[in-house]
Amino acid sequence: MHDFLQKIVALPWDQSPQWLFLIPGLLMLLAASAAVCLRNLIHSALCLVLSFICLGVLFMALGAEFVGFVQLLVYVGAVAMLILFAILLTPAGEVAASNNPLKNFRLSSALHAAAGAAITFLVLAGLLTAIFFSPRAAHAVLPAQAAAAPVALIGENLLTHTLLPLLGIAVLLTAALVGAALLAKEDTSL
Amino acid sequence: MNFLALLKDTLFQFLGLFKNLDTLPVEFMRLLREFLVKLGALCGIAVPQWALDLVSSLVIIVAILVTFLILFALMSVFERKLLARAQNRYGPNRVGPCGILQPVADGIKMLTKEDLVPRAADKVVHYLAPIVMVAPALMLPVILPYGRDMVAVDLPVGILFFFALSAGAELAVFMAGWASNNKYSILGAMRAIAQMISYELPLVTSALVVALVAGSLSPAALVAAQGGYSFGFLPRWFVCTPWGFAACLLFYIGALSESNRCPFDLPEGESEIIAGHLTEYSGFKYAIFFMAEYVGMFAINGLLVTLFLGGYQAPFPFLEWIPGWCWFFAKLWAVALSMVWVRTTLPRFRIDQMMLFAWKFMLPMSFVALLAAAAWYYAGQGLAGWVLSALIVVVPYLLLGTFCFTRHHSATNRRYLYSE
Repeated sequence: MHDFLQKIVALPWDQSPQWLFLIPGLLMLLAASAAVCLRNLIHSALCLVLSFICLGVLFMALGAEFVGFVQLLVYVGAVAMLILFAILLTPAGEVAASNNPLKNFRLSSALHAAAGAAITFLVLAGLLTAIFFSPRAAHAVLPAQAAAAPVALIGENLLTHTLLPLLGIAVLLTAALVGAALLAKEDTSL
Repeated sequence: MNFLALLKDTLFQFLGLFKNLDTLPVEFMRLLREFLVKLGALCGIAVPQWALDLVSSLVIIVAILVTFLILFALMSVFERKLLARAQNRYGPNRVGPCGILQPVADGIKMLTKEDLVPRAADKVVHYLAPIVMVAPALMLPVILPYGRDMVAVDLPVGILFFFALSAGAELAVFMAGWASNNKYSILGAMRAIAQMISYELPLVTSALVVALVAGSLSPAALVAAQGGYSFGFLPRWFVCTPWGFAACLLFYIGALSESNRCPFDLPEGESEIIAGHLTEYSGFKYAIFFMAEYVGMFAINGLLVTLFLGGYQAPFPFLEWIPGWCWFFAKLWAVALSMVWVRTTLPRFRIDQMMLFAWKFMLPMSFVALLAAAAWYYAGQGLAGWVLSALIVVVPYLLLGTFCFTRHHSATNRRYLYSE
């Protein structure tokens, strides 16, 4: 009994174990495939939210707390809500009507499946190439001082090295906002 | 040294801690860890670091949960009492002395009620919604600094953590509303989400104002930055500066809205949509929604106290002998009871008024507060900073107020755009 206790105590519990990484990763994959496979659109969207959350947890497990919480704030708080609203406000009949002809033509559906597989393969291959052959892959593990003050570093980088893309995104978002306001305006002037 | 001697020793040390109430909780945790190490040595086991961490984490988690559940119970009875007093009646006074045990009776009532699930409801999502609601709400209080060095998780991005988890409430409200398969529920959920998203923007921006001046997102660092007194008497709480006062009011209004409290209780407007997304919930699931809302309210009030009201700092130098955590909870109660006061005083917003207020008044004002804080930061904290940031806040406030809230006596037939 005593030996057993001491053995359990001596296990490396405090070192970040692999399964801590594995659980959210597997859950994310599961939720993402459920989001694609489920028939009910709202269920798909909720599964997508779960995979967003798992991705945030993965970021946190990697030590990127800031990115993880921003992922939760932006994707779960805003993007997911937008998706859910869009599903609710779109008439469900249109989707069913556009799906029906596909089911009648076996050849066409096979073609669509092949096209889907090809696109998936291309995207996956592109991603993997980018990951394995990027110059940053060699030092993928963050240096210690970068992990200590990530927020300040991110802020400094955003406003110095990547200022131009940041401004570009700001212009894009402003344009989108103006466009949305315009659409809403036309709607109310009926 | 045997077990009894160790126990006696630790007990005396524990009693000795009462000499300094300010550091009592922190010292208690240190004592607990020491006790565990000595206990392990007595049994011949070298207690490792992770076990100590585990035990002290559990103790802290239980302490925070119990504190916030007690706050919830007390709030539920005090709120009813205060509302009753404002309406010239007695309020709950049957259960226990002065009705103080009313929450116990409420809990028993809720537990024994039948848990109804509508036949047409989406069973899984209907079941998950209260869980998604309550889990983030109970996680929110961990980042608040309750006293000097009394913070459960000192996250460097604590403020962000808070707002990221608050997103869970929107999700839960949507799940509840949609899964109930009821028109009142889905309408209430849509209203609630529209309201939460609209008010989250000014809420986050007014929190950002503080982060800008203090240069940190860690709640403990923010409170530490509010120590001391300017001009010798005025505490350096952020609420005592022009930009901080504006941001504090904006944050307070945003907090009212985020916790769905009057005058922002449109999602549950009884006369219009029964109980909104809660219509199809009964029994303990309803109680869980209710609890999550109140715990969330206390958490966001705690964040308000942390950001603007100086957290555990005393208001006057001669009151510094009172422990910091007493100040924190005193301020927390003051903010919470002021919300009850607002509830007794103000009528409910109409939905178009609510949206107009969020987008045309609060959002621009929060940007103005951000600008004023930047001016304060660069003008220095002397008289120039005060005058400059006060001007930056007051002038747009007057202009916006005149622009948004002046009644135009022109149109004869008024149309309610959003209510049709």
